[in-house]
This record gives sequence, structure tokens and C-alpha cells, in this order.
Amino acid sequence: MADNGIGTSHQANTALIQASNLECKNLYDYLRTRPSTLLDRLYNHPAICLAVYRELPEIARQYVIRILFVEQPVPQAVVASWCHQSYSKEHTHVCQVLSDLFVWHEAPIPGGLPGWILNSTFKRNLKTALLGGGKPWSMSSALEADNKARDVSFLDGYSAERWECVLHYMVGSQQQEGISADAVRILLHAGLMKRDEDDGSPVITRQGFQFLLLDRQAQVWHFLLQYLDTVEQRGLDLGECLTFLFQLSFSTLGKDYSTEGMSQGLLIFLQHLREFGLVYQRKRKAGRFYPTRLALNITCSQNKGVPVLEEDAPKGYIIVETNYRVYAYTDSNLQVALLGLFTELLYRFPNVVVGIITRESVRQALRGGITSEQIIGYLKQHIHSQMLSGDNKNALPPTVLDQIKLWELERNRLIYSEGVLYSQFLSQADFNALKQYAQQTGCLIWSNKEKRTMVVNKTGHDDRKKLEIEECVKIYPNIYNRNLPNEIWCDDADHEHCIEAFQRFCPRHFIIDMMFVKSTTWPVCQF
Amino acid sequence: MVNVMKGILVKCDPAMKQFLLHLDETLKLGRKFIIQDLDDSHLFISSDILESLQTKIDDLMDQISFPMNEKDK
Repeated sequence: MADNGIGTSHQANTALIQASNLECKNLYDYLRTRPSTLLDRLYNHPAICLAVYRELPEIARQYVIRILFVEQPVPQAVVASWCHQSYSKEHTHVCQVLSDLFVWHEAPIPGGLPGWILNSTFKRNLKTALLGGGKPWSMSSALEADNKARDVSFLDGYSAERWECVLHYMVGSQQQEGISADAVRILLHAGLMKRDEDDGSPVITRQGFQFLLLDRQAQVWHFLLQYLDTVEQRGLDLGECLTFLFQLSFSTLGKDYSTEGMSQGLLIFLQHLREFGLVYQRKRKAGRFYPTRLALNITCSQNKGVPVLEEDAPKGYIIVETNYRVYAYTDSNLQVALLGLFTELLYRFPNVVVGIITRESVRQALRGGITSEQIIGYLKQHIHSQMLSGDNKNALPPTVLDQIKLWELERNRLIYSEGVLYSQFLSQADFNALKQYAQQTGCLIWSNKEKRTMVVNKTGHDDRKKLEIEECVKIYPNIYNRNLPNEIWCDDADHEHCIEAFQRFCPRHFIIDMMFVKSTTWPVCQF
Repeated sequence: MVNVMKGILVKCDPAMKQFLLHLDETLKLGRKFIIQDLDDSHLFISSDILESLQTKIDDLMDQISFPMNEKDK
């Protein structure tokens, strides 16, 4: 097959093949990708140790508590024996998690057996967090009473308003006040919005749509992670900000805290949090701030059933009928805009919107990158309390839910994966060897032994070229690669011999691209 | 000699596979695009056809669905 044409359409194809979805990292995923030095610094703060500990898998928490007071390495075999044999997979997983987070590290015990020992900083500070003691957290609450104290409902209203401002901006509804250039930059950086190609104004992306349908807590966490990515460019200290954020997440709602003793960087950070409604400050220089609900427990990953403290959370407003009609009792432009993502709106009244879910409207949403799960999740999350009354467990009509799922499946009847087809192997042994290699590297997508045909993904294909060179070098002592990884040389006067070697190990496809430089006696082969 | 070809692996149900084969045979997309028929649910196709293929499939899906609900009631 000719190679030309692939390059040009490649861009479009990748877009079609890998529809990148919004990636929701939890605390573990986030910290795992940080350098160990940063983690070590973070572990100097009991608040972070506690937060990390709370987010560990259950078995990992068990292990940590068991060895928290052990001052020497514990044999790995002993740790493994705490977990039933049938859960060995989980055991390996949590060991990996603990190592990834540098909560513990390997240490030999006398006698040479491998053992685990907790990171000493982590150990010390987790003890402090659990048992008390240590320095007071920098967020002091020693303040005389605020003569204009704010109560919880005020804070809730405030934070909701601030946060909705950001969301409003994303859906592009005009009526709200704008958000700062800083916040826009974060949205752009997060890939939730992108600059329009024509006029440069930010427009929402598919990730952005998915973001909008997340629940509030997940939104805040995702947004903050993206914010933290940019924190260092602003000249703030990532460690300091993270520490503060975790302390904030353990603070009490409706209580005021002093800004005294906070560094200049933290004060800037506080102003940013204030803009998004994570903290409330009456004035920039008020000297005190109130954490809001958004800031509390931010680290709790979305899948963990967070104890619902949102009794006064916004009431559901959506009614879905079996005839695909949707009634939304709301006057918020944001909610209407969100609903409009996947329904066809028919009528708009002061306090209610009527729409209809159609194949076209759902497909529109699917094309925009929203999944059926997200649509259904959103409907469930905002369902009207009237629909929940009675003993009806499935408040949403199952017909509608199923149909939405079917509409999605209909689009996914074909699954594409870019790859490279290998066929016409000369011997079964060659085929087996390559297949085994592909399996080990995890790049085999399809194979058939009888036909001696296999498909591997692209990265695997490139890796295989390297393997080929290595093999070649191994078997023919006169051949070696030098300088460039994709180049092999033959230190042999016998050209025929070299070319045979090259051909044996480099399939026809590459032979075409090969360049034989017959300088003096050395042929060279380039891929 | 091992034969190496770049393309796209398509995983689908047998019915869809027959549809693709039909498209290929009748040159509905202007040319043949199936490089190799692998098995009941896998095909290997050339990668530059992908876009027009998806449009074609969307058309098919539009044809075999009918409006579920009426707006003016």
C-alpha cells in the first residue's frame, strides 16, 4: 500500500479515532505525577498527610496504621500475609499506590529480605495529625468575634453565585458579570475552552461540555487541579498553595479564620480562591476569611459517597415524561443552557422551560463529546422532588434512559483503532515470536494464528523497529548501530552478506526506505 | 517476507461488517477501501477513507430510524 495520503489525513483521523474525554484525576492520580521532592515537602504538613491517608484505598490504610508505630522495616512477606490470598491483586495494587506516593519505600531488613518502611516525614506528621500536638496550623482562628459575622446560608449563596459565574461564562450566557482574565486563562489552559479560530474569543470545547455536567464538587476539584498547574508560572509556591488548600478543606464551615501570618504568595492565592467562591472575604484587606462549602472536603473523590451535607442544596427541577418531554422548573439561564445541550427546547416561560429529547438533539450532544452516562447522570442529579415521591425507585422513565443509551450505542457500532497489519509471515516461529513480543509490550490489538496475521498499534510498530535493530545487532556480529538509534552499520566487506542480513530482519516495507551508502566498504542502513 | 501495512482496524458486529463489505464491493465510496477481511467482527481498512465512511454510516442510521415523538401535541 502506498504511504502517501496518510500523512495529510492523519490529523483528522486521530480526532475521529481518539475522542479524548475529560480526564478526572483524583488526589492519588494528581500526587503520583508530582516529583518526589515536592511530595516530601508536602508531607511536612499534618493536614496533607491526613488528606492523603484518607484517600488511600482501604487496604492501604490498614497497612499504614499497622506499621505506623513500627520503627524498623517490616518484611514484605509479613505485609502480604495481612491480606487474604484471594485478594493478592488488590495487595499488589495498594503496594504500588503506597510506593507511588512515597508513603513507604523498600528497605532491606537484617537478613537480606526485602521490607517496607514508612516515609519518616509522613510517619511523623500522620502521627501528629491523628494524635494531636505539633505546631498550630498556620490558619489560625484566634480572632475576636466578627461584628458582621456571616452565617452558613449566606456563605452558600455567595459561593454558588461565584461558581455559577464561571459556569455562566463557559456556556456564554450574556446576562452575568464577566470573570477575570486570570480565570479565563485557567479555562483555556484546562482545555475546557479554546480560542475561536476566527475572532480569538474563547469558546467551549467538548471537555468543557463534559465539565459542565459534572457535579459541583468534581467541577471544583478538576478546576483547582488545572489552576495548580499554572500556579508556579504566577510565581506562587505550589507546595505552599497545596498545603493551604488542604488545611482549608479541613476547616469548619461558618467559622472565620485570620489571614495573619500568611505570606504574600498565599494572600494572592487567597484572592484567587475568593474569586471562585471557595472563600469569602468582605474586603480584600479584611484580615479574616470564611471558607465556603466548595472548599470543604475538596479532596474527596467523586465516586466516594460523600456524606450529603447539602440538605439546603439547590432542589431538583427537572421532570422527564415517558413521551420524551422535559419540563424544567427554573429561571436560571445557566440551567436552561445546560439542558439545551441535549434537548430541543420548545417553550420558555418565566419559571419553566419545556423541551423534548429527540434523536437529533441527543446526537448533537454526543457529537459535542458528551456521553449518554453524563446526560443521564445530569438528569438524575437534578430530578424534581415530585418525581422521587412514591415508591418509585427509578424516577426517570426507563424508556427514555434506554433510548438515550441506544442512541449512543448506535454511533459506536464501529470501533476504530489505528494500527499496522503484519501478514505473510514465512514461518510460524517468526509469527509467534513477534506476537509474544507484541503481547508483552501490550500493543497487540488482534491476531490470528492460522492466517499468521496480526495488528499492532502504532507505538508498538515503532518500538518493533527498534527491536528489529537490536535483534539484527545481536545475531550478526558485524552489524552494529551507532550514533542514531534508527541506523545500523555493517562492518563487513561482504556487501551481499550485509544486505541479506538487513533484509532478513527488516521487512520489505522498510527496505524501500533504506539508504545504502556504499562508502568505501561500509554499508549503512537507515530506517 | 513479512508484509506490513498501515491502516485502521475496525471492530464491529457481523451485520455492520456485511454493510461495510457491501460498500466496498459496490464502490459506494468511490473506491475499494478494505485492505483485509480478518474475521467475523474485524476488518482492516485504509485510514484515509475514515471520514467519508463515517458520514455514510450516519446516513444509514438516519434512514433506519424514525421520529419517536411528536412535537406538536
